[in-house]
Amino acid sequence: MKSLVLFCFSVLCIGAVAQTNTDSISTKSMDDVIITATRSPRLLSNIAIPASIVSAKTLYQSGSLRLSDILAEQTGIAVIDNFGKGIQMQGLSSEYTLILLNGEPLIGRTGGVLDLSRITIKGIKKIEIIKGPSSSLYGSEAMGGVINIITEQPGIRKSDLNLRYGRFNTVDGSFDIARRINKLDLQVSSDYNRSEGYSLKPNATQQTVEPFWRSTQQVTLSLPIADKWKFGLTARHNNTYVDNTISVLNGGSTIVSKGFEKSNEYNINPFIRRSINSKISTTFRGYFTGFTAIQELSVKDALGGYNDQFQQRFNRIENQTDWHIRAQSNFIAGAGYIQENVRSNRYDSLSTKRENQIGYVFTQQEEKITKKLTFIAGLRYDANKAYTSVLSPKAAFQYAHNEFISFNVSYGKGFKAPDFRQLYLNFTNLAAGSYSVFGASVAQDEVKRLSDLNAIDQTTSMLNIVSVLKPEVSGGLNAGVKVKLPHELNLQANLFRNDISNMIVTDVIAFKKSGGQIYSYFNLKQALTEGVELEASKRLRKSISIKVGYQYLYSADKQVLSSIKHGEVYQRSIENGAATRMTVSDYGGLPYRSKHSANLKINYENKSGFFTTVRLLYRGRWGTYDIDGNGLINREDEFAKGYMQANASIGYSASKHSDIMLGVDNIFNYKDLLFLPGNPGRTGYINFQLHF
Amino acid sequence: MRTVKISFIVLASVLFFMSCQKNETPLVVNTVSTDTVMELSADTIIGLSNGQPVGAGKFTFYSIESKSIIASADSNSTKWDVAFRGTTILTNGGTSGPGFGGAFVYNGTFDELTSISADSVFKVDNAPTAYAIPTGSNKGWYVYDFPTNLINPVPGRVLVIRTANGNYAKLEIFSYYKGGTPSANVPDDEKLARQRYYTFRYTYQSNGSKIF
Repeated sequence: MKSLVLFCFSVLCIGAVAQTNTDSISTKSMDDVIITATRSPRLLSNIAIPASIVSAKTLYQSGSLRLSDILAEQTGIAVIDNFGKGIQMQGLSSEYTLILLNGEPLIGRTGGVLDLSRITIKGIKKIEIIKGPSSSLYGSEAMGGVINIITEQPGIRKSDLNLRYGRFNTVDGSFDIARRINKLDLQVSSDYNRSEGYSLKPNATQQTVEPFWRSTQQVTLSLPIADKWKFGLTARHNNTYVDNTISVLNGGSTIVSKGFEKSNEYNINPFIRRSINSKISTTFRGYFTGFTAIQELSVKDALGGYNDQFQQRFNRIENQTDWHIRAQSNFIAGAGYIQENVRSNRYDSLSTKRENQIGYVFTQQEEKITKKLTFIAGLRYDANKAYTSVLSPKAAFQYAHNEFISFNVSYGKGFKAPDFRQLYLNFTNLAAGSYSVFGASVAQDEVKRLSDLNAIDQTTSMLNIVSVLKPEVSGGLNAGVKVKLPHELNLQANLFRNDISNMIVTDVIAFKKSGGQIYSYFNLKQALTEGVELEASKRLRKSISIKVGYQYLYSADKQVLSSIKHGEVYQRSIENGAATRMTVSDYGGLPYRSKHSANLKINYENKSGFFTTVRLLYRGRWGTYDIDGNGLINREDEFAKGYMQANASIGYSASKHSDIMLGVDNIFNYKDLLFLPGNPGRTGYINFQLHF
Repeated sequence: MRTVKISFIVLASVLFFMSCQKNETPLVVNTVSTDTVMELSADTIIGLSNGQPVGAGKFTFYSIESKSIIASADSNSTKWDVAFRGTTILTNGGTSGPGFGGAFVYNGTFDELTSISADSVFKVDNAPTAYAIPTGSNKGWYVYDFPTNLINPVPGRVLVIRTANGNYAKLEIFSYYKGGTPSANVPDDEKLARQRYYTFRYTYQSNGSKIF
């Protein structure tokens, strides 16, 4: 609450400061064409579902380095630091959010989380954000929303060089070259990023973030190959390396354990487009991607080292045909085939390949029914080999009452396929109580194998219901209003509600004679998230823009809610340890969700090439983990404290060819070792850019 | 171990008050008492064997009636009522001892449990497969959380105990750790070193009735 008051106060202060600026300049209009919402280019203002765009200019002026940096500043998006930096949208966690690179899904998740610090923002043209379920177009994972990273496309001749240096010896260097050679458009970019890491805990033997380096290379080309035929290709390669060498003093002698984590990712994305006539075009796309991660730790002259390897391949071919029927009517249809496999010593030996094949078809119709009413309907069917098939419909309406006000309503189904871990994991933790986790498809066999070895003490009734997992599914409703007022004042509100069922949870299937428990995965949980997102933006004297955003979020496990209402749930008092019956208001909902989050962004820019930005980000308290034994978030000590972060940058175009920028992130130096290990505190940086 | 005495008169004072109102001769006998036991060690961990934490393998015997620890030499007597070793809790009966001991797990709050209903079934220990207070995560009194590696008593579980002499008590465990439950980021070896210390409260009814 205190932080919220502080936040409001800051809003007023900065608002007052901002108003004293009198410089004026017209700012270039935003590139507001969005592709992700309908799989075809549309004006952002005409889209019937909640969508937004982050432009290259915003990416640069915010001084962001990695995708997680810029997404953390967007209304309704939280970056959660757990197995890497994953995002949460509309209260749905990273595993339920689809991340696309030029329309193709990124793979390589750990514990369901796609680490967005893996992705450099260098070479990104814009980021498109769609909220609410979009499985009708994109299939699995598009439950909470879709984030599509659109990289620089070739066509304009340019050469950019960017260098940045910041705290913790963080260095980032990148270049970007685009050329036309005969008819071939070529674009090459490369980014290298390294840091010494940091320690939030003084004198700790192991740093909070160990030294790392990452590099990304990308080549994009496009070539008209014949009349009405066009060919294009994007190839990208991404490397990360974390140095986990630890020296520990033990009884006077130094023990060095050498360790590292590295990952390798490639994406190859060719396409051929054929314009059949002025109304119909068809595109064949291929997408071939692989992700390999290795974690190794070896302790000299001692046991306890480990080696963990994970290899994932995802290949797909797809066709999409667009038919522009008439001015107000557009139809698309498509079909594709996916082949996916994983090898990991977490599941079995590395020689065992686990695979899945998916065939899918999708279609969408956009129709302007009357002058004011637009309707979009979409449908997708995914047939899978490893689990049951899914049908995902979606419908959206936009009613533009007049030029000032429009209303949107959409309802869609989303799904997330069970991942390989949930199907095939074969993991035993010898250190911590010797518990084991088996994927649902292998659990029966594994328990039988242990039983034959006489290692099982008893099984639970849950063992009988372990079966092929079904996809987790959701239904999401969004209803919003957009108001465009004179003097460049824009207001937006969106209400959302997501009902998720068949959620996959772990439960005990057997007990080992050694006392350890055996867990497997079940489609048992039902949850809901609902809330409202509010945004306002205002331009003052053409040189200043102010944006305010707020999200209220409520989330709950539906069974828990019902048990609480039936008086079957208890909590333990912090003061005296005694248990009392819990009420609905004691329940803190799903973990890692903040009820309140807000941001304020102020941008000033003048004709002489000077800009400054100030961004205030507030994240209210969020539930972390259970302490009082009921498995729920309810007690004060089960929440992480809410906080406010302020980031600022200042930049100047020294000439047509060079820019300089200085920035400070986390000005208030807010740190939380336990719950925000990825936030190093106040960080300054300097950035140079050259253009030719 | 430290015993905090909060003996107080619950039933007796109510009876006294009621009796006075009726203007009868008060007969005040205090037969119900509540005590809290702090950090009773229960076979604390002394090392690792095959990667598994191990203690000395000995139970700590406790007498609810005399509110004291009983020497393990008296383990085959009716001097003790409950015994603790790691997460296993014994009652003095069945395979565990010569007494009338038994128990069951009641779902509800400690304060709400004012009387043991007539149809309640007390179980007795039948080692090593079944105990009156079931062993295993979420089956008896505790839950093991595998991401944080912590053991916590489940709130809303009250152990209803029949003592070695056949009297009744209700018992609620507050914590399994010295200094309270450690936070999740505490290293595993510290979590192990601090576990197996019971803090609990109990109400004992010495007159043989099932009313607390």
